[in-house]
Amino acid sequence: MTQFIELTINGLSLGSIYALIAFGFVLVYKATGIINFAHGSILLLGAYVAARTQADIGFWPAMLLGAASAATLAALVDVFIMRRLRGTEPNSLAILTLGIDIVIATDLIRRIGPDIFTSGAPWGSEVARVGDYVIPETRIAAASIAILIISAFFLAFRYSDWGVAMRAAATDGRTAALMGIRLNRLAAGAWALAGALAAVAGVFFVSFPSPGVDNATGLSALAAIPAAVIGGLDSLIGALVGGLIIGLVATYCAGYQDELSFLGRGLGEIAPYTVMLIVLLFRPAGLFGSRSVTRV
Amino acid sequence: MNATAQAADTSGAGPSTAGPILRVTDLHASYGDAGTALDGVSLEVAQGGIVAVLGNNGAGKSTLLRAISGTLPLESGRITGGSIEYEGREIAGKDPTTIVRGGVVQVPEGRRIFAGLTVDENLRAGGLATKDRSARGAARGRVFELFPRLEERLSQKGGLLSGGEQQMLAIGRALMSQPRLLLLDEPSLGLAPQIVEQIAEIVTEINRGGTSVVLVEQNAAMALRISTDAFVLESGRVGLSGRSADLAGSDEVRRRYLGVATEESAEAQAEESAAVTRPTHVLSTRRAEPKTLHAAGVTVRFGGITALEDVSFEVAPGTTHAIIGPNGAGKSTCLNVLTGVYRATSGNVSYGDTGLDTMRPHRIAALGIARTFQNLALSPETTVERNLLVGRHRLTKAGFVAAGLSLPSSRRELAAQIDHVHQVAEIVGLTGDLHRLVHELPYGVRKRVELGRALCAEPDVLLLDEPVAGMNAHESAEMSATIAELRAALGLTIVLVEHDMPFVMGLADRVTVLDFGEVIADGPPDEIQRDPAVLAAYLGTAGAGAETGGTT
Repeated sequence: MTQFIELTINGLSLGSIYALIAFGFVLVYKATGIINFAHGSILLLGAYVAARTQADIGFWPAMLLGAASAATLAALVDVFIMRRLRGTEPNSLAILTLGIDIVIATDLIRRIGPDIFTSGAPWGSEVARVGDYVIPETRIAAASIAILIISAFFLAFRYSDWGVAMRAAATDGRTAALMGIRLNRLAAGAWALAGALAAVAGVFFVSFPSPGVDNATGLSALAAIPAAVIGGLDSLIGALVGGLIIGLVATYCAGYQDELSFLGRGLGEIAPYTVMLIVLLFRPAGLFGSRSVTRV
Repeated sequence: MNATAQAADTSGAGPSTAGPILRVTDLHASYGDAGTALDGVSLEVAQGGIVAVLGNNGAGKSTLLRAISGTLPLESGRITGGSIEYEGREIAGKDPTTIVRGGVVQVPEGRRIFAGLTVDENLRAGGLATKDRSARGAARGRVFELFPRLEERLSQKGGLLSGGEQQMLAIGRALMSQPRLLLLDEPSLGLAPQIVEQIAEIVTEINRGGTSVVLVEQNAAMALRISTDAFVLESGRVGLSGRSADLAGSDEVRRRYLGVATEESAEAQAEESAAVTRPTHVLSTRRAEPKTLHAAGVTVRFGGITALEDVSFEVAPGTTHAIIGPNGAGKSTCLNVLTGVYRATSGNVSYGDTGLDTMRPHRIAALGIARTFQNLALSPETTVERNLLVGRHRLTKAGFVAAGLSLPSSRRELAAQIDHVHQVAEIVGLTGDLHRLVHELPYGVRKRVELGRALCAEPDVLLLDEPVAGMNAHESAEMSATIAELRAALGLTIVLVEHDMPFVMGLADRVTVLDFGEVIADGPPDEIQRDPAVLAAYLGTAGAGAETGGTT
């Protein structure tokens, strides 16, 4: 039972990080209708910049710098590449982002080489004991910061002018434009915000128990794709729930892998995709995705 | 207070009050390579005036509004020549946000409210271009003054409002940026006569507050009544223009747009329809004996709302039955029950001896019952031809394997189906549009695509949900002729829902009137037109006389 509770807490913490990444997918999808496969390399850039600079400027400033770099890169991709192709078939654009991902990731992996850069997180490998339970401090920090960001995000989406504009544009871009809402600016903002969230998630990803940024970090964002898809790709709540599900499943599978050994090793890595398949079999639009409902 | 703010805003632009608020000169526009949409349009809107823009579907009315509001590029169109001066400044080619901030706002065709957002959020979205918060507050107050209904429904989702309320929300949303020039695209589309009256009053009221209006309308009677000047577009050019009162009196306008049958026009139209021989035989290949369509005590509830309450009617084989009533009366629900989209909570529907209540929609379609949809259920990114081919689905034998592998048999079949589709296109007048994408087509033409698709299924019973919405009197008369001809040639049984009274009264053998989900009258058209309950609930006393003159 102790193990189960510990795994659950770890899983929820990991899940909240996945949720941050999944938010990025959902934001870009809502604003532009594109699934952004370059999200992983943007996350890698953020984590890389933060890890490279933390020794000189300290952890928190480095994290901000990482987030700023990732946001800038994402916005540049939107302004200089995607904006010119607005109106092109979204599937073609999604493939284009795959290409962009390969270009960015290749350059970063070349820079990282065989090195591993630690995140320099102040809590390192410390653990906290709560009663009988042992929880790594990283997990607590990750979960608290993620909850903070997610709440701010939900409030903004629900109540701010920006949120109303985003939702209006996601429902019907052409009509939103008639109201004087600037679609290009919204799209660039969504890309930038997605980048910043990915960078923050990236920094936690490379903190304990991970040794640091290495050339495989970008791949970790891939596990957030099932999270976004399970949730429904166009729903923020969905991304949150999907992220938590993926975090829990991955953690349980890793934690109980001895008991689950009849299914083979490395179950944790494929579990997110298995869950995604099962969910999609029963709910093709995801758990919270808007099925195209029309009045006939 | 806003008047002074606005005056200060434009003081740099010179004497803006003297000239017209809008002057369009020799405007040309086109979409991609689909040809010219506007071919030299010139018009003026006086300060504080209401200008009506009339014309057939595809004449360029919506394109004109999009050009003014700067949203043509979003529909992959562009202005290729000419100028648009607003308050003395050139705005052609400016981005939509700049134009909205300048005080020009367009209310799009079909309302296009944000269905998932609340009424409150819809209004906020309309005010986002205004940075000044107190101005936003003032605009909001004005909107609630005009539409007290919206204030009552602030926290409701926009998609749950009735058609009339949605139109009010669409107008209210546009007013949130305090426009000095309001562009309205078909505000009466799909609305019951009484609501159209309300919308007309509201437009007049908005205009009285100092906002100039460009009103694109298919309801020419209403548009000419409330406007000062009018322009008639024909194939991207201004065909006629003048004072609205003068135009309303001209024979040409009366015949084409007001549906008033003058003696010569009746003759001309008789000749016209005699000249067209439609290849209706292609639709009569395999035909079972038509049966009676019967609804008995049908009640439909959604959650706590009763959409239909104990509704009964009978449609005899080969007759045309109209269902009319105010927006939200349950007309579309009726059609949805007949086609198996909704299930009756109690009561039953049958076709001949076959009960339809428990059948899935595709099985009902297989019985030879085809329909069209009020809100257009077409694939916008595919061609008209492809959309019509969908209608052939139930008569196509090749399975997905044969079709996927493009086996000779399936290729032959496809060729035959396409041939059939082309003949149907000729009947409904779509031959020239077969290879255009649906989203490029004007609303009224899309309606014809829907009719064509339903006909492609070679139905015995045709259910038509607002077949002439978005069409002017002339086009609606043409559609009426087409349907009458189909009915005569094929012995079709037709059930139709429509607000266009000349159309309904000219075609229907029997009319059922719904109000609040209940049948308030049922009988032949001439009886219905005199029924006091119907006049009160739906037609309005003024509307009834004026709108029934023009049947063909």
